Amino acid sequence: MHLRIDDIAKAWSGHTVLDGVSFDAGENEFVCLLGPSGCGKTTLLRIVAGLTAADAGRVILGGRDISALPARERRMGLVFQAYSLFPDMTAAANVGYPMRLRRDAPAKIAARCSELLERVGLGGLGARFPDELSGGQQQRVALARALATEPAMLLLDEPLSALDPAIRGQLRSEIRLLQRALGIPTIMVTHDQEEALAMADTIVCMNRGRIEQTGSPRDLYERPRSRFVAEFIGRANLLPTAFVRDAIPGFLERRPPGDEATYELCLRPEDVVIENDPRGEAVIEDTVFLGNLARITLAWRGRKLLVEQPGRSALNRGELVSVDALRGAWVCA
Amino acid sequence: MGVRVKRMRTTGMLLLAVPLLFLLVFFLHPLATVLVRSVTDAQGMPTFANYVRLFDDPGLPRAAMRSLVIGVATTLCTVSLGLCLAMALHRSRLPGKALIRTALLLPMLAPSLVLALGLVCLLGRNGLVHRLTGLPTDIYGFWGLLIANTLYGLPQVVIIVSAALARTPARHYDAAESMGATPWRQFLDVTIPRLRFALLAAAFLVFTETLTDFGSAVVVGGSYRVLAVEIYGEVVGQLDFAMGATLGVVLLAPALLSVWLARMARRRQDTGDASPGRTLVPARHPWRDVALGGISLLALLPLVGVVATVAYVSVVKLWPYDRTLTLANYMGGMPDGYGPVATSITMSLLAAGAGVLLVFALSAGLRRAPPFIAKPVQFIASLPAAVPGLVLGLGYVLAFNHGPLSGWLYGSVAIVAACSLFHYHAQAFLTMQTGMRQVPEALDDAVAVSGGSTFHVLRDAVWPFAAPAAISTFFYLFMRSMVTLSGVIFLVTPELGLASVTVMRLDENGFLAQAAAYAMCVVLASALALGAMRLLLHVLKDRRHVA
Ligand SMILES: Nc1ncnc2c1ncn2[C@@H]1O[C@H](COP(=O)(O)OP(=O)(O)OP(=O)(O)O)[C@@H](O)[C@H]1O
Ligand SMILES: [Mg+2]
Repeated sequence: MHLRIDDIAKAWSGHTVLDGVSFDAGENEFVCLLGPSGCGKTTLLRIVAGLTAADAGRVILGGRDISALPARERRMGLVFQAYSLFPDMTAAANVGYPMRLRRDAPAKIAARCSELLERVGLGGLGARFPDELSGGQQQRVALARALATEPAMLLLDEPLSALDPAIRGQLRSEIRLLQRALGIPTIMVTHDQEEALAMADTIVCMNRGRIEQTGSPRDLYERPRSRFVAEFIGRANLLPTAFVRDAIPGFLERRPPGDEATYELCLRPEDVVIENDPRGEAVIEDTVFLGNLARITLAWRGRKLLVEQPGRSALNRGELVSVDALRGAWVCA
Repeated sequence: MGVRVKRMRTTGMLLLAVPLLFLLVFFLHPLATVLVRSVTDAQGMPTFANYVRLFDDPGLPRAAMRSLVIGVATTLCTVSLGLCLAMALHRSRLPGKALIRTALLLPMLAPSLVLALGLVCLLGRNGLVHRLTGLPTDIYGFWGLLIANTLYGLPQVVIIVSAALARTPARHYDAAESMGATPWRQFLDVTIPRLRFALLAAAFLVFTETLTDFGSAVVVGGSYRVLAVEIYGEVVGQLDFAMGATLGVVLLAPALLSVWLARMARRRQDTGDASPGRTLVPARHPWRDVALGGISLLALLPLVGVVATVAYVSVVKLWPYDRTLTLANYMGGMPDGYGPVATSITMSLLAAGAGVLLVFALSAGLRRAPPFIAKPVQFIASLPAAVPGLVLGLGYVLAFNHGPLSGWLYGSVAIVAACSLFHYHAQAFLTMQTGMRQVPEALDDAVAVSGGSTFHVLRDAVWPFAAPAAISTFFYLFMRSMVTLSGVIFLVTPELGLASVTVMRLDENGFLAQAAAYAMCVVLASALALGAMRLLLHVLKDRRHVA
């Protein structure tokens, strides 16, 4: 089903938290709401779920305006960061909970519970209580519960951020596989850009209650439109126009017209090419060995530049290098 | 949008409204009545004559002075002994800590005057010691009152101080140790600073209780008449309600002050860190253990001795002349039979049951209430902690013996239950609210998106977390109601006897053995309740219902 968020605004006691937010989530699409802490992601998700009332704007699901519907009638499956399982119900009872509220037949509930638990990889653990399950398993139960009533949409609020990195990675791909298999449109909130890049079809990057940019992960990474997006997603070298004119004038061609200060050039560290050159203009200040890549800091014409090279770098501190850039994007400063 | 939000809010308001109404009628209204009565004359005209009259009677300033003296002395003794006992429990390697804990339960199971009763039986002019040794013992007066009050206050001090001790992280001691601090210096530099506020809070609690408790004062005070006894005399003896109300207001002032100070103290203390870390294991230090053990023995032997004396007295034929052992006192020997005990139990069950419902509704209603509602409600719900039982009971007499509700309420079990419920409302409310704070918000939302209503939120999200608190609240109110005396003393009628009041009446008339038998019935009922509570909490911990 298609979801349309239309010009949503929300203020908490006079303090604006969401300011005219609009985006679309298409059928089967996995959308990540990405942004720093406090930018209003959770608030937006709760508005979509019907748990919080917006001050203005509409939520349209499958062509129907659902803004006035209470949460229970919206058919949304919700997964929270943590602590959302009923502590004195078993995993199976937790999963069956929404169906029991709907007064489904017990036999049907039982069958669906074990099917769902199977799906999230917990077959046979239905009799366990939440405190007998690991954090990752608890989130799987929460996921199964969210799917129990065949929701129109899945809403995930940082479902992985309370887990340790190894399990996080594994659950990422499982959630994504499950979502594809069920073909259910999903919005996931996260402040982890790596997670958003890895999972999303579309990333909605938010900052201070506004959308900075919407697009595919690749779009946002390669063609960030603002300094905020460039810095929030991946690492970026941001160079002012005057510097570019002196150092790498080739990039000036594609610069949009505008004042000196309105645009900056964003160079991703892996797009910077350096070569050992005794007559080079840059000097290597520091190299950090990161296993599969090396992170190098240069001093170049009075600026610091971050460079990443795959594999093991042969460059050492103090060596002179020449600098060139493969590609770059102009962003609003 | 906002249909659900609005509906939730309506239900929330309803949850708040009912307990608030009860607080209004059964707490604020009687309290206001006392205040008004103290500044009006018989015709209801405003006057300060009652306060002027306080100074006409030379007995009253003297009684006030005595209350103050006994209050300070009791506070000093109780806090220092309580500190030692708490240290013995948490910072020593003494064996038999379970025994110390059990002994400390005794005063909480009995009305305050039972300790005084035991003291009289043991060391009174005709007490056991005199009978056995011929020594001229006379415990009545200051010293008797001091001992009885100290023994009564001890467990509460130990509980407060123990909580603070348990919150002090072991790493502070590790740090002090690594810098070469001796155990004594560690006590002075690590332990005491973290206990400051707990000690202060405990001191104020004991001071207020001593000031306003009159059960012990009546039994063992003798000619050392304190303020609480004077109030009792004015109201029950001379039926001078205006004077009683005025004296009540005088008692209210220090009680309010001490509760306010304790609140400030708690606020300052809560800023400390609560991260647990390594559990603390006291180092080997024989002298410390010997000293703490000695003091513990000194404090607890009298306690156990006094209660044991009451138990003994309850099974002798004709105290103190014929000490043949007999169960006659329990089998028809009690003047009113088991009636008062049954009434006490009925009343306590009513207070506990109604109390749990009201406090649950109040805490649940407050969960999502905006601050401008939550703050004042919280204040009113906690205010009973600052109102002495004597004052509240007086308010009940003034407010309910006449007026529109009196037809239903006068002399009923319900009115007595209401009095003891609202006397102990603050602590019950605090317990329940603490329990409910543990409900994760995500759980509320999970119910809502699953299609549940407020009822489902309460049943499935709130109740599992609040259940232990509800059990504790129920039994707390039950046990307190079983032993309460100062509040309900004005409310009993000849047809409606309560066990704790009966103990006092029998003691006044010299029937010590029968008084002791009633006292032991209360102790037994309270002990059973305590056991039931522990069992239930234990079962609840293990049990899960599979829905
Ligand atoms: N119920 C509420 N009442 C008042 N203010 C709120 C409420 N909920 C959120 N806020 C405020 O709204 C702002 C946005 O909060 P929100 O939870 O949406 O941020 P977030 O993007 O989810 O952040 P995080 O990554 O930390 O979860 C914050 O400043 C927060 O303090
Ligand atoms: Mg959030």
